[in-house]
Amino acid sequence: MMETLHRYGPDLLTGFGLTLLSWALGTLLGLVLGFVIEIARRFGHNLLGYPIRAYVEFIRGTPFLVQLFVLYYGGPLIGLRLDALPAGILGLTIYGSAYFTEILRAGFDAVPLGQIEAARAIGFRNTTIVSRIMVPVMMVSALPSLVNFAIILTKETVILSMITVPEIMFQTQTMMSETFAFVTPILILALFFWGFVETISRFGRRLERRFTHYLLDRS
Amino acid sequence: MTIQHAAPAAAHLRNVNKFYGPFQALTNVTLDIPPGKVTCLIGPSGSGKSTLLRCINVLELYDSGEVRIDDQLIGYESPGGKHMAPRRLREMRREIGMVFQQFNLWPHMTALQNVAEGLERVRGLTRAQALTRAREALAKVGLADKENNHPSHLSGGQQQRVAIARAIAMEPRIMLFDEPTSALDPELVGEVLGVMKQLAAEGMTMVVVTHEMGFAAHVADRVVFMERGEIVATGSPREVFDAPSDPRLASFLQGYRERNSLDF
Repeated sequence: MMETLHRYGPDLLTGFGLTLLSWALGTLLGLVLGFVIEIARRFGHNLLGYPIRAYVEFIRGTPFLVQLFVLYYGGPLIGLRLDALPAGILGLTIYGSAYFTEILRAGFDAVPLGQIEAARAIGFRNTTIVSRIMVPVMMVSALPSLVNFAIILTKETVILSMITVPEIMFQTQTMMSETFAFVTPILILALFFWGFVETISRFGRRLERRFTHYLLDRS
Repeated sequence: MTIQHAAPAAAHLRNVNKFYGPFQALTNVTLDIPPGKVTCLIGPSGSGKSTLLRCINVLELYDSGEVRIDDQLIGYESPGGKHMAPRRLREMRREIGMVFQQFNLWPHMTALQNVAEGLERVRGLTRAQALTRAREALAKVGLADKENNHPSHLSGGQQQRVAIARAIAMEPRIMLFDEPTSALDPELVGEVLGVMKQLAAEGMTMVVVTHEMGFAAHVADRVVFMERGEIVATGSPREVFDAPSDPRLASFLQGYRERNSLDF
């Protein structure tokens, strides 16, 4: 067993690294894209609403694996030739953006209109209203959902193995097929994800405390 | 640096109409709001008082007519023309303070930050200058000791005074009050009205939508009675309250007196 670990250790570490990388970039870029989409829907031309809705419904209505195949194998047909890793990260970004944008929409909708009107009446520009009023107020209700979806995304990363991204699932499968050992690799995989998710949710709780500190009784 | 009183502005409404779909909220409203005076808008709920007030700083955009602050048209580039550019509108709104029924303080900021935010972001003061002036504004409404409280740790009356401080710190030339005491427990109404009286005494132009007939009777220079989106009667408090000429006004006042009579 030590021998196996010794042999596959470096590959597993690479796999861990790629999983973390694709999750971090996919989540971050997905959140940014989701935010941009929501701002465009909220402040942009009314006609933008239709394509945005179609985009969100398409992404939410199809499996991530299918989207990834379309992007990776179908992409070259329209001149989009990506290596597996960039394709995987882009896929996660697109997938995440559709969900993040809906979470943000609900969050922004929950900001009391009066607080926005108060800012307008004083003469704030829209960018200031969004950054100084709407985002901080919205975070109280939206942050748990955002963290929750970031956690879901950790586990979607294993699908990247299907387009040959050598992330942790890919490495584990290789190890299994070469050694015919199943328990150890799967256990390692499970422990890795458990620790990964636990870290994120701890971080999420800390963020929540930061955004809701004013609701706590400190008087 | 102290809070200056910028020269009070007048507001003029000419044949203002406002529709919500097929419903006409304001019908041919023409009204002159004199500078440095207190104008109170009274009338039954749904009569268009708040809509009229919100047309003055274009939180509601009127559909036709003209609204002017002093001579400057607000809301449109020219009468019946294009919507005003956002930047121009922001510049004009700086001169118009507003106080809301629900206070609308920003819950994630302390009282001090609520007041300083606009000074920093809109007036372009440095952080230090903004905080200094915000402290002066809070002191003026009697809340110097509450600057570090978040709105959730202030009473309704205190929140509304912070909201007034937030507005006056911007040195507006006209102040709009949209039922400022309607959401308050009765025993907290007095502290807010007190601050408003002080502002009135300093010569601020004030437009106040109110159900506080006592305030209207004692502080207003002019009282405007509205019903169904129209101005039905205007006059001095004495003319409006003691000798109502219009039967609808008379019946509104009688209803008010009956509800507030002290025999229980």
